[in-house]
Amino acid sequence: MVQINLPKNSEVKKGKYYKDKTGSKNLRKINIYRWDPSTEENPRIDTYEVDMDNCPSKVLDILNKIKNEIDPTIAYRRSCAHGVCGSCAMNMGGKNGLACTTPHAEIDGDIDIYPLPHLKVKKDLIGDLDGLYKQYQSIEPWLKNNSTKQTTEIYQSKEDRAKLDGAYECIMCACCSTSCPSYWWNGDKYLGPAVLLQAYRWIIDSRDEERKARLKKVSDELKLYRCHTILNCTNACPKGLNPAKAIAEIKKMLATANV
Amino acid sequence: MEDRPLSPHIQIYKWHISSLVSISHRITGIINFFAITLICIWFALMLLGESNYQIIKIFLETFLGKFILIGITWSFSFQMLSEVRHLIMDLGYGFELQTTKITGLLVIFGSIVLTILIYFIGRGLI
Repeated sequence: MVQINLPKNSEVKKGKYYKDKTGSKNLRKINIYRWDPSTEENPRIDTYEVDMDNCPSKVLDILNKIKNEIDPTIAYRRSCAHGVCGSCAMNMGGKNGLACTTPHAEIDGDIDIYPLPHLKVKKDLIGDLDGLYKQYQSIEPWLKNNSTKQTTEIYQSKEDRAKLDGAYECIMCACCSTSCPSYWWNGDKYLGPAVLLQAYRWIIDSRDEERKARLKKVSDELKLYRCHTILNCTNACPKGLNPAKAIAEIKKMLATANV
Repeated sequence: MEDRPLSPHIQIYKWHISSLVSISHRITGIINFFAITLICIWFALMLLGESNYQIIKIFLETFLGKFILIGITWSFSFQMLSEVRHLIMDLGYGFELQTTKITGLLVIFGSIVLTILIYFIGRGLI
């Protein structure tokens, strides 16, 4: 249900202030959401003054710099640093994205960094994505072919292959799902843009033989139709994909097909 | 660990045109629901006699009355244009980021232009 205010244990308090020690003239204030599971305290916002003269261009570079040079206790996920793995998804300057592909020059003023919205926080910038992975599992994201005798490749025409463009590139970083107000209020039942984009990816795959069953499965007031085309998802996607359009296509298929 | 905090969501998420149009669509929908009820009550009262008509007329000529009328006109205009936008989206068109921005702005400014137009036409100025 719609719950605008944060629960009492989630209210964000003011935290520590780390003053610059390098004496640099080109400083930027970075506000980072912190929560330590080993204490009973509420989450807080720590502010760091960072020397931007010696910092590469992306938000992840700032985080690495803070962790290496200022405060080693800060926790965040990162791996490839090239926008491929989707680990460093977080909320920067009020918008979800990958820290490794978001230039800090694009954010005006102080940089606010939060974990992905409306998730249970594990520590600092790390949110719990278990619910989303369970939903991903529920759409059975693998090729289903009922033929037991087929031993050769299943061919696909160039046109059929082209249908997968814009759907297979998804890296499941969860930027879109956690940007979606519908997913915030109904995340336990509504599948959310990331999972629905993947559902679409298997529905339109010409090699898959379970198209009807897949369509039937997502055809649900809560699972699918909680999408109200708010389009936060498409705005957030760091890979430039369009989950909102994929959801609209599923709705269209359900309206026209006989399932 | 059930006492884990919930990360901030609507408090920190940046608004953009599509999300603004979407939430306004809902708000104007609720306003229209009450507006239609109000208009029906006015009509019913008018059927009950001329004195009622006079009272409503006096009320609608006050600043508050005019504000309500113009407000309802805008709310209806917005709802209509936004609904057209949603219908087009339901057909699967207009999902490119740039297009959603343009159609969103069209809805916002279109609703204001439509309100002014209806006002002028109602006043017999056009």
